[in-house]
Amino acid sequence: MAGKFEKRGFCQVKRGLAWILVGGLMASMLGGCQKSGADGETSMRAEQDGQGSGTEVSQAPGDEKSKPDAMGRYGEVQVQLPEKVEDQSYVGFLRGEGGNMELYTVERDGDAVKVTNAFRYIYREGAWQCDESWEGNGILKDKGIDLANVAYGPDGKYYVGGTDEEYMYHLFRLDGGGSATELLEDVFLPKDGQSYGMHPPKFEILEDGRLVVFDYYEVNVYDASGKRMFSMARDFSGNTGDRRGFCEGGEFVTVYEGELVRYSLQTGKIVDTMNFDEIKGRWGSAELFGDGNGGIYVANETGLSHGNRGGTLWEVLIDGSLTRLGMRSLNLQKFLEGDDQDFYGVFTGEWEKGIQMFHYEYDPDLAAVPPSALTVYSLEDNSTVRQAASLFQSSHPDVRVEVRTAVENGGTVTEEMISGLNTELLSGRGADVLLLDGLPADAYIEKGILMDLSDVAGELEDSGDMLNNLLEGFRQEDGAVYQVPVRASFPLLVGEQEALQAYSSLDTMAGYQGEKPLMKIGIYENLLRKIAHLRYEELFGAEGAVDREVLVKYLETVKALGDANGSKRAFTEDEFEKYFVSNNVVSDGIIGSATEYDRGVCDSGIERVNGYWALCLAAEVRYLHPESKFMPAGKIYLPSGIAAVNKSTANGDLAKEFIRCLLSYEVQKEDLTDGFPVNKKALELWVETDRPEYSIASGYGDYHISGSWPDIEVRREIAAMLEGLTVPVVVDETIMRMIVEGSGDYLEGKATVDQAADGIMRKLSIYLAE
Amino acid sequence: MKRGKFWITAALFGMCLLVWLPLLIMSAGVFMPEDELYWRYLSPLGLGRDRVRAALLPSYPSLEALEELLIRSPGFFVMFWNSCIQVLPMLLGQLMAGAPAAWAFARFRFPGRRVLFGIYVVLMVLPFQVTQVSDYLVLDRLGFLDSHLAMIVPGIWATLPVFIMTRSFETVPHALVEAARLDGAGEWYVFVHIGLPLGYPGIVTALMLSFVDSWNGLEQPITFLKDKTLWPVVLYLPDIAGDKAPVAFAAALIVCLLPALIYLNCQEELEMGVAASGVKQ
Amino acid sequence: MAGKEKGAGGRGRLGRLKRVLTPWLFLAPSLGGVTVFTAVPFLDVVRRSFQDAMGRRFVGLDNYRAVADNSAFRLAAGNTARFLLICIPLLMVLSFGAALLLAGGADSSRESGDLEDISGEGDRDGRNRRQRGKRYGIFRTTLVLPMTIPAAGMVLVWKIFLCPDGVLNQFLTGVTGQVWEVDWAFSRWAFSVLIATYLWKNIGYDMILWLAGLGGISGELYEAAQMDGAGLWARLRYVTIPSLRGTCGLVGILSVVNSFRVYREAYLLAGSYPDSSIYLLPHLFAHWFLKLDVQKMTAAAVMLTAAAVIPAAGIWISKRGRKE
Repeated sequence: MAGKFEKRGFCQVKRGLAWILVGGLMASMLGGCQKSGADGETSMRAEQDGQGSGTEVSQAPGDEKSKPDAMGRYGEVQVQLPEKVEDQSYVGFLRGEGGNMELYTVERDGDAVKVTNAFRYIYREGAWQCDESWEGNGILKDKGIDLANVAYGPDGKYYVGGTDEEYMYHLFRLDGGGSATELLEDVFLPKDGQSYGMHPPKFEILEDGRLVVFDYYEVNVYDASGKRMFSMARDFSGNTGDRRGFCEGGEFVTVYEGELVRYSLQTGKIVDTMNFDEIKGRWGSAELFGDGNGGIYVANETGLSHGNRGGTLWEVLIDGSLTRLGMRSLNLQKFLEGDDQDFYGVFTGEWEKGIQMFHYEYDPDLAAVPPSALTVYSLEDNSTVRQAASLFQSSHPDVRVEVRTAVENGGTVTEEMISGLNTELLSGRGADVLLLDGLPADAYIEKGILMDLSDVAGELEDSGDMLNNLLEGFRQEDGAVYQVPVRASFPLLVGEQEALQAYSSLDTMAGYQGEKPLMKIGIYENLLRKIAHLRYEELFGAEGAVDREVLVKYLETVKALGDANGSKRAFTEDEFEKYFVSNNVVSDGIIGSATEYDRGVCDSGIERVNGYWALCLAAEVRYLHPESKFMPAGKIYLPSGIAAVNKSTANGDLAKEFIRCLLSYEVQKEDLTDGFPVNKKALELWVETDRPEYSIASGYGDYHISGSWPDIEVRREIAAMLEGLTVPVVVDETIMRMIVEGSGDYLEGKATVDQAADGIMRKLSIYLAE
Repeated sequence: MKRGKFWITAALFGMCLLVWLPLLIMSAGVFMPEDELYWRYLSPLGLGRDRVRAALLPSYPSLEALEELLIRSPGFFVMFWNSCIQVLPMLLGQLMAGAPAAWAFARFRFPGRRVLFGIYVVLMVLPFQVTQVSDYLVLDRLGFLDSHLAMIVPGIWATLPVFIMTRSFETVPHALVEAARLDGAGEWYVFVHIGLPLGYPGIVTALMLSFVDSWNGLEQPITFLKDKTLWPVVLYLPDIAGDKAPVAFAAALIVCLLPALIYLNCQEELEMGVAASGVKQ
Repeated sequence: MAGKEKGAGGRGRLGRLKRVLTPWLFLAPSLGGVTVFTAVPFLDVVRRSFQDAMGRRFVGLDNYRAVADNSAFRLAAGNTARFLLICIPLLMVLSFGAALLLAGGADSSRESGDLEDISGEGDRDGRNRRQRGKRYGIFRTTLVLPMTIPAAGMVLVWKIFLCPDGVLNQFLTGVTGQVWEVDWAFSRWAFSVLIATYLWKNIGYDMILWLAGLGGISGELYEAAQMDGAGLWARLRYVTIPSLRGTCGLVGILSVVNSFRVYREAYLLAGSYPDSSIYLLPHLFAHWFLKLDVQKMTAAAVMLTAAAVIPAAGIWISKRGRKE
């Protein structure tokens, strides 16, 4: 009997164990969620639903109509700055002597290089005052230093930093009475073998006199004597003004390996980490500052969020999408907490110019969410739409523009997401405005999902403000316009006449007999995609159908080009170094290769031109090769942000208004690096705008090149090209994938072209028969 | 007989090996640091071409991925909790609505029984895609969209558990039921005191299978829940692209842990229940 | 007298009413919900199959004609039929085998029964079962595990096995001495791959059902058979299999239900336009949905339902006719 008991005992132990495990799992889950209680969930919701406002909003999301009674949100009011600031560049915004807020700016000379004067403005009792007597300006002028950073130390002294004529950085303490002490002289000298020294984006002074100096990838702590004590690693955003990090309470908070980390300023070791994925925004850029109690504020395009020490969840105080924080054309420079649960934010346009300041104050009488809503749906993030949403809201204060993106940065779009959208559309629901990029636009048009925008389009075209050639490509045969492109880019070829001529057909490409290969080496998938885009009309014909004969010719062309330049299906890491290639797939297959042409690797280069910045190097290359020229690839252009209106929307007029806003001069004039404007006036502004401060350098191995903003002739030339493009290219991703999958063996030489073409045609015929 | 047993064990062992091998490879992936994972599985991850170096144990064990998932991803917890909120009440509902119906199908003879049961079976076989839009309209009308109710309520009336439970109730000995009826027991009493205990294995099986289905079902939430904060944990997986592979492995492991553990319990219940019904006959 | 008679009659009528009503009372909670959440949507599907895509216009049988003429539909339906015909019997046999092996452990231990055990029939059975639970529980748990793992988590593992540089090719290269570089999921092998993953995932699911069925068979039947001198095979043939007819139907239907889910694996493993041998109805339905061709999808679904229901109903009616 004893044995029997034992066995029963065993069973029970096993069962008990399992229950304990289940229980433990549940408990840990519960614990994980409840740590911050309902608050946590609210904040996440608030972030997603955009109703984050104030600390007490906890209404469940759901039907928008059921929550106009939720009141209270941070309002945004612009703070008037002194007129003079308009032409000046931002240097710093901080709390200085007496706790007053101070704004530091500089004035540059004509070439926007050399600083002529530095200014300090003090904010007292709601008014700005220029501090004409600021000693810093004189001292720096004497020493020939261009002001770059200002800090106010706990010792009641100001610290300033800047560069001299040799672009060497110097740091001074202003001792008052016109004298200054230089600090850490050796630290900023170039290290052995380098031509530039450290240029800290920021520095802070600790209570005990130690100095915390930000470098790009690390933050160094120096004692009062200038000896380096330790350094703390951080992530570099890629922006040389990356100031993410602050010191408070003996600790230093920054971003490292994609998370917020807290270093002890005693040991230089990480003592705590906190995930901020859900409020990271697009580039992970942010202004970080402390709340004085160990909590962290994060301000960026998602808004202002607060996380408690040791917590895991973020509370969204200010919703970025309802304020300037979400505006893509503005760069957040600094966010400060006011005296009474309020906040100040300072923004600039590009190059620290166009300073704007806003005050954020909790307003209990403001509806938590503006009463009417306009939803915009897109699969992936689109900067111009965000920009328009922001502007639209400021001109329509009672409208909230909710931009829904299916995937956050880096996610993959799945079929289910599109099915989910389709379900809504079929039910007569769905967003008011749709961005059709990646969506089955033709099916939507055929099924009558989209609203005819020909009135809007016609009115815009007649106004003469638009690049009609770009809009015309989207007009149906019956004159209806269901979709309009918000931005456009195009492939630009650079090379000698003979090479460029080869791009005129598949045959000539395949038959190109030059000294060097026609194109740069790369993976086959990109080559396939590139040729499919460049020869779109030839390959897909008028109806988007593929003819087997043309397909064979296309595959043979890709093979010939690939054989000539040594393309492969995938490269190994050694080859990455050797050929300067990567295995990254680009949807249009175009990887900038003007420099490769310059390097003499191939007879022509190609660039996807989505703004003048993308031309810096190409223009330089053409300048270096007087025999070369620029040419667009036929009449094709690549539209992005293809906007349409849901026919069953209840806000038809508002949605059309939003489309107008998207195409308006105000939105289009901003360069958000997602394509050229489709608005003529905006394009004219782009042509006129020179950016002498802009330059790009590139190099690998022994090769170096640098270029500056293209000059007016080039800008005009490119704008003229843009005005001649009439064929929008949107390659059907399903077909493209069939081609890529079906051609691999042939391109690697393991199958014949007929086998590959048969395989692709088999799938294609299924696809077309469906 | 001993030899027979040996072969039985050997055959089972062979089958289990086929299960364990992939599972071990997956669990090993959970404990690999990122670079080892890339070194071993570059090709399957779609990041390049290199020989796969499969391993049942990681060379440099690391808890990085688990830590990332369990400690640094609050979103994962919220989603895990969402799954629980959506699945458990649904199971309870299935039991309350489904078991009496199954008892009626199994125990009573009434006109239209077979036709009705046939309809239940047909409704069970229809794939989700087909009724997606219609379901959406119904939920929209009821105002359930974008709330946990959209996942819970329609699930309660899935016909599959009814089908399984009916089969199970049919095996309850007729004599036992008749005896109880003769003793003057009411129909509800018979159902609760004879039907439920004896049909227990079927009920557990039905709920168990139903649990697994809804725990791993991802079409419904994507379609009915716009608000991503309501999404169940299974949607955490496809959200992870190739560059987060270690976390994907860890998430898969954690996601299947609860069903597996619950099964571990049900297994005993199931077996005892089965035994009981066999013995008392 | 009259009053008494009336009372009895009333009780009788009441009783009859109660008898008629009882099953419906049991059914009511389920029936109500099923009507709203399943039957109404299904009827809506039927309605849509006679309308255009957006449900704006009645088009009669046009959708059915379009579907019947659609070559993609024919291909998908053929492939699906082939898949079901191969997969379902295979799955049922294998899972039944696994269930038998697991239960077989108990049978053999019953025969080699512990003679020292004198604590009586039922208890002995119970104990043996517990022993079985101990010895075979690990196998059983193992076989059930695959069904709990979400497809997205497994796909990476399948790719580790099946990609051109994968484990399977390495294994075959080692065994045969030739270089294997087959891209299993994308070649003509895709069909076999799909069957293998389907079996891998679903054997446990079906096995549970078989085990529940096996457990329901009375031990006395076996003992009686054994006394008649029936061997292992004969007992299987004359006792086990006939007793499991109901379970067989159950397992069969559930296997069909689960076979629609194989699309998830197929899609994650081989993309939305895979090798044409594994282009199944769910693929087609998904694509139709993406292109908003719901009218075709609903028409096809109604056709398929009818194709399954009408023969079944026919058989049932003819059976009933014969009985009467």
